[in-house]
Amino acid sequence: MSIIEVRTEGRRAVVTGPPRLNMTAAPQLREVLARAVAEGSPQIVVDLGETTFVDSSGLGALVGGLKTARQAGGDLRLAAVSEQVMTVLTLTSLNRVLRPFPTVEDASREW
Amino acid sequence: MTDEGRVEALERLEVLDAPPEGRFDRVVRLAQQLFDVPVVAVNLLDAHAQHTIAALGMECGSVPLEDSFCAHTIQQSDTLVVPDARLDARFRQTALVAGDPHVRFYAGHPLRAPGGQAIGSLCLASGEPRGFSVTEQRLLGDLATWVEEELVRSDDRLEAEQVQRRLVPRRPLGLEGYDVAGGAAAARSVSGDFYDWQQLPDGFQVVLADVMGKGLTAAILAAGVRAVLRGTSRFNPLTESFGRLAASMAEDLDETGSFVTMFAARLTPETGALDYVDAGHGLAVIIDATASTARLLSSEDLPIGTLDDDTWQTHQDVLAPGETLAVVSDGILDLFDEPWDAVDSGRQLSGMCATAQELVDEILARAAHHVVTDDVTALVVRREA
Repeated sequence: MSIIEVRTEGRRAVVTGPPRLNMTAAPQLREVLARAVAEGSPQIVVDLGETTFVDSSGLGALVGGLKTARQAGGDLRLAAVSEQVMTVLTLTSLNRVLRPFPTVEDASREW
Repeated sequence: MTDEGRVEALERLEVLDAPPEGRFDRVVRLAQQLFDVPVVAVNLLDAHAQHTIAALGMECGSVPLEDSFCAHTIQQSDTLVVPDARLDARFRQTALVAGDPHVRFYAGHPLRAPGGQAIGSLCLASGEPRGFSVTEQRLLGDLATWVEEELVRSDDRLEAEQVQRRLVPRRPLGLEGYDVAGGAAAARSVSGDFYDWQQLPDGFQVVLADVMGKGLTAAILAAGVRAVLRGTSRFNPLTESFGRLAASMAEDLDETGSFVTMFAARLTPETGALDYVDAGHGLAVIIDATASTARLLSSEDLPIGTLDDDTWQTHQDVLAPGETLAVVSDGILDLFDEPWDAVDSGRQLSGMCATAQELVDEILARAAHHVVTDDVTALVVRREA
């Protein structure tokens, strides 16, 4: 059973991140993101409200999703990023491209 | 004692001829902490002697079988416990008990080859007598199983490890007025971290990189990154070298869904001028001569492989006399709540370490004492005061 939920609505998709986005969960997220783009929803918000931990494999999955989404004319944004996750994003400067928003609604607003 | 089967089994493992560098370090260290004993050793026994292939609290070497506790252990199916060797008729006259180092307590669990032959033991020793509970015996047995698994690991992975170990700079940088050192502690057998240094026509370059992911894929990519960077750095300024590296690796990184965080700096020895590029690495710091302040060498550049056609900026700093540049991989963050705690801990360590190598060793030792899930690599450049 998948721990990663996806809701799609036209070109948009909201993906709920797993509690720990690590080596175990990363391949699954990668797949979910790729499928959302392939099925015509490249405007993706990843809701990290329940995600308390991200390691480099997790970042890899998010970056992979971002690339795929951009290639399809969309983007990948983050919502409800916890402090630990924000630290990792800032450290790697990835917050510049994986842009964090306070809520899913905020992230979806400009689309 | 029926030696033949044992010696043959031991030879098949080919461990005595090719000392298995570092393979047992973790288990030996863990045993020392778990049981709180001064001496832990992995001993293997051939027809004539006991050979210590990994140890803490004693030197690796050989002793004659008649002085060996482990020669008794391998006759047993289970742990041999000697609470006080001085009171034990089997041992009280032997060299290691009657003389230096005056062993009193011994506990050893037999190690078996895949065919079942006992070939040695994982053992603990102390100069103080003590007991050893059934639970402790079971734990020691579990650790012995781990050693046995390591002993038979002569497959591709081991070869990959050896290849990777050769991918560190072969020579010291030979940079007058500076002390440079690096080191790595892999969480798994192979890692995506590496450090490197090289002399360039216009200065000296030091590098620390971390390829996202673990295991063989990350290690192979790391070898590629290292080679491409070495080649291009010779002919190009830093910014351009990063661009070329990114272009060369783009497809491989895409294919494997990976990216690379990397810090590289070029040093002009006379002035201490430090040009650096930080591609999403974020863990490079300069500690002042008195270890009272530390400044992060920050940058807003992204890891290599994040975006197509990305570019990187060169930033400038100066390594003043007595100052220390320390770069670590993000595995170190497993030990700290905040990156700043890691920086501060590095600052304090720098004050206590007389040489760059000492500081590297201290950083790695801290990583080794914790259960880290990521590799930790460290690089230190200290300018003499």
